[in-house]
Amino acid sequence: MISIQNLYKRYHNHHGSDWVLKDINIDIPSNVSVGLVGPNGAGKSTLLKLIAGMDEPDKGKIIRDCRVSWPIGLRGGLKGSMTGRQNVKFVARLHFGQADETMDEIIRSVEEFAEIGSAFDEPVRTYSSGMRSRLGFGLSLAFNFDVYLSDEATSVGDRRFKRKAQQVFKERVGQSSLIIVSHSEGILKDLCQAGIWLDNGKAHWFDDIEDAISAYHASSNFAPK
Amino acid sequence: MIRTPWQVTRSAWYAMFMREAVARTMADRMAWFWMLAEPIAMVLIMIAVRTIAMGKGKIVPGAEFVPWLVVGLFGFTLFRENMMRALGAVSANNSLFAYRQIKPVDTVLVRCYLEGMLKSFIFLVFIFGGILLEIDMLPADPLMALFAWFSLWMLGAGLGLTFSVLSSLIAEVERVVKITTTPLLLISGVIFPLNFIPQNLLPYVLVNPIVHGIEVLRSAFFPAYRLLPGVDLLYLWFWALAFITTGLLLHIRFEARVKVK
Repeated sequence: MISIQNLYKRYHNHHGSDWVLKDINIDIPSNVSVGLVGPNGAGKSTLLKLIAGMDEPDKGKIIRDCRVSWPIGLRGGLKGSMTGRQNVKFVARLHFGQADETMDEIIRSVEEFAEIGSAFDEPVRTYSSGMRSRLGFGLSLAFNFDVYLSDEATSVGDRRFKRKAQQVFKERVGQSSLIIVSHSEGILKDLCQAGIWLDNGKAHWFDDIEDAISAYHASSNFAPK
Repeated sequence: MIRTPWQVTRSAWYAMFMREAVARTMADRMAWFWMLAEPIAMVLIMIAVRTIAMGKGKIVPGAEFVPWLVVGLFGFTLFRENMMRALGAVSANNSLFAYRQIKPVDTVLVRCYLEGMLKSFIFLVFIFGGILLEIDMLPADPLMALFAWFSLWMLGAGLGLTFSVLSSLIAEVERVVKITTTPLLLISGVIFPLNFIPQNLLPYVLVNPIVHGIEVLRSAFFPAYRLLPGVDLLYLWFWALAFITTGLLLHIRFEARVKVK
């Protein structure tokens, strides 16, 4: 379970600093996939980064008592001058130290999933953005996390890859869950059970993702008739 | 399976060390060449300057000029490279903070370790090269030489630890540190021996802790070398320990802000 308690977050800039997230109290149970919805700038990605531990809250805390992934599809985690294989090795070492058998297994599974062929041994800076996200996506799936965080990750790549990614997530339902930020309702409805709607710094929990989406639509002026 | 904090840190260090080592030595095919060629070029230029400017007279009491220069230059670059590499460590590895287990201080520690290892290896290559060319480069007091070498390393690492935080908080710090490194090369007595400066200036020269490290390092190599009066490694260690402590404290205090930058 991930427990968010009295969480406040703001960014300091030259034009004052309003709270992006204000007094958020939410418990996200394990084995429930959650979709984050809300308009641009509502703090969806900020909340995801906070859950991932990439950023610290100004007040309050987040308690994770399960294995939480880094945000999937994250491009920053790959080093351009190193090959895909070297990047995978780095992350494998980071998680397992010097265990060589697991390393080989991880490299093989990433190579198979990413399907980028011989480019796997080329420097990452030569990759197209689609290839990069394939690699990043395959990389995070090679580790068995309890909760996967995803920031629009499933919407990159071509059709075939998109379908494959969604397939993997569906298979994993039960063992691991997802927290997704996405503007695509199809993906949210396909993959998530519950939803969180972010509105003016407040977070509202919905047990059903459909309710979260309709609450979000009702708040914006162009709700579908 | 839940790993202990120490296990997590160990694998983070291991992963980052391998990554940095590959990046430093393999990234471009000339990397190894330049590691050796840079100090050689520096020594050749300095010898040329000396022979043209000062004739061939023996100017360093108790030591041959070339080994004297090589030892000083390596001691100084060990310090400077540790400081400068550590300074850039946090911003260069910014993207890695997506992985929760990597903290900004890890990037600095790993870089300092790698830098010290590389510089030590290259210094050894030079010493063996010197022996082959029949230039006396073997330290007379190897333990003392190792300790002075280690001291300079720690001084660089301490300053690097401190400046790595300060430069992420205040952008100008890096520029100022860069500006100061060139005059430091001169006032640390790397190129011109400090035995010749007027007595009344000596206390000011000795404020600089690098002088203490380099002079002790030289005296460990050349038994007849006349040590500058007032040189004391303990003084260097006051600086080193003070900066290491300050640096670690700053890393604890400002971890969150450094990460986000």
